[in-house]
Amino acid sequence: MSAPIGEDDLIALNAFVDGELDDNAVAEFEARLAADPALQAARDQILATRQAVHDLPRPTVSADFLHRIEALGEPRAEAATTSQLRRRPWWEGWRNIAAAVLLTAFAASGATYFVVGPHAAAIEQLAAADHRRSLLAQTPVDVLSSDRHTVKPWLDARLGVSPPAPDLAAQGYPLLGGRVDVLGQITAPTLVYRHNEHTISVFALPGSTAAARPKALASGGYNMVEWSGVGFDFIAVSDLEPDELAAFVASYRSATGISG
Amino acid sequence: MQNAPDGALTQRWGVSRRRTRKPVNQDPTAKLFHQVVVPHLGDALALARWLAGNPNDAEDIVQEAAMRALKAIAGYQGGSARAWLLAIVRNTAFTWLARQRSSALVMVGDLADIDDISQSGSPASAQAQPTPESELIRRADQQAVAAAIARLALPLREVVVLRDVNGLSYKEIAEVLKLPNGTVMSRLARGREQLAILLGRADR
Repeated sequence: MSAPIGEDDLIALNAFVDGELDDNAVAEFEARLAADPALQAARDQILATRQAVHDLPRPTVSADFLHRIEALGEPRAEAATTSQLRRRPWWEGWRNIAAAVLLTAFAASGATYFVVGPHAAAIEQLAAADHRRSLLAQTPVDVLSSDRHTVKPWLDARLGVSPPAPDLAAQGYPLLGGRVDVLGQITAPTLVYRHNEHTISVFALPGSTAAARPKALASGGYNMVEWSGVGFDFIAVSDLEPDELAAFVASYRSATGISG
Repeated sequence: MQNAPDGALTQRWGVSRRRTRKPVNQDPTAKLFHQVVVPHLGDALALARWLAGNPNDAEDIVQEAAMRALKAIAGYQGGSARAWLLAIVRNTAFTWLARQRSSALVMVGDLADIDDISQSGSPASAQAQPTPESELIRRADQQAVAAAIARLALPLREVVVLRDVNGLSYKEIAEVLKLPNGTVMSRLARGREQLAILLGRADR
């Protein structure tokens, strides 16, 4: 059992473990923490509690629910009631028929089948669909490891190629693992990082000889950043805000020596 | 180093860009809705689930919140889309709970007690009940954790959920709840502490 600590210290401690303590107060607090076992016990307790909440299963956005919400955004749907939306949404006109066919394909056999048919999708849309599919799956990674020395060889063994997988935990982006994705005709290694409770997929399309600076865009309801370097075309996809995603990309690029 | 031309990746990888030509519609409201609301549905469901106290109502609450968001989207000023949407989800959940007269709204203690934590110098709970070893907390199973969150007073629960489930910054939480930063910090400290006590006890 730990001795009770003061309220101000408890608040500061929570802010400290959340990385929300003022920069100029951090060093002083760290020194006090190192010298005070009661404070250390309280910190461990906060970390354990935070982890317990974080480890709870998150509700998944089912494909059905997603389409119901997306349908709300249709101009036609504004006048419609909820029950109408559920039963008979919006397929009128060729564009919507095409969309319905694609939705069926998505539901039946996964996002990669978006490319079946006369209109191939843009790589960004494929990346968005794949990111979404990974979030619906049991786990967003095929190899679960925070150790880059595990993730890189695993990808190498499967694809013969793997992007740099820097450890960005200190910057607030722990590595969750990696997976192999198929975007259209391209097989790509994908790294998965986490920021707070949000997942970031970094698709690395091998073979690029160009170097290109980051470009922000959005597709399929997700924010993205594209850039090229060290032999890959990268696409980072996440539901993070654009500036948060840009900050992640800056960390990744600087850790892989391709900033500039 | 050069800038990539527009759609460089798509060109290089030989896939058509035809379908990116406004695949859904050109309505600016719909476009904004798609960018601001749709990416954060997972967070919206998680918040609704913990505010409602059960997973079943979450989709209905979020659907209603999404309709409100669509109506209000012209008023979205930029900034954190997640915080903007979650504030709407929270209001919708409270309306929902009031309508259902759900027992989930019963509060433990009242708001005055909850924010009045500086008076005693150290929290009353910590003195009355020694807080448990972190090992006990780590051993608590998911059911116990869910039950403990449900038992937190709503003002504490929402701060803990916004932080540890939704991953919002303190600033974003203050924005969602329209509270000063200091209040957010003290409620979070208090909420986690009570959770630790509940989890330690549940495991004994």
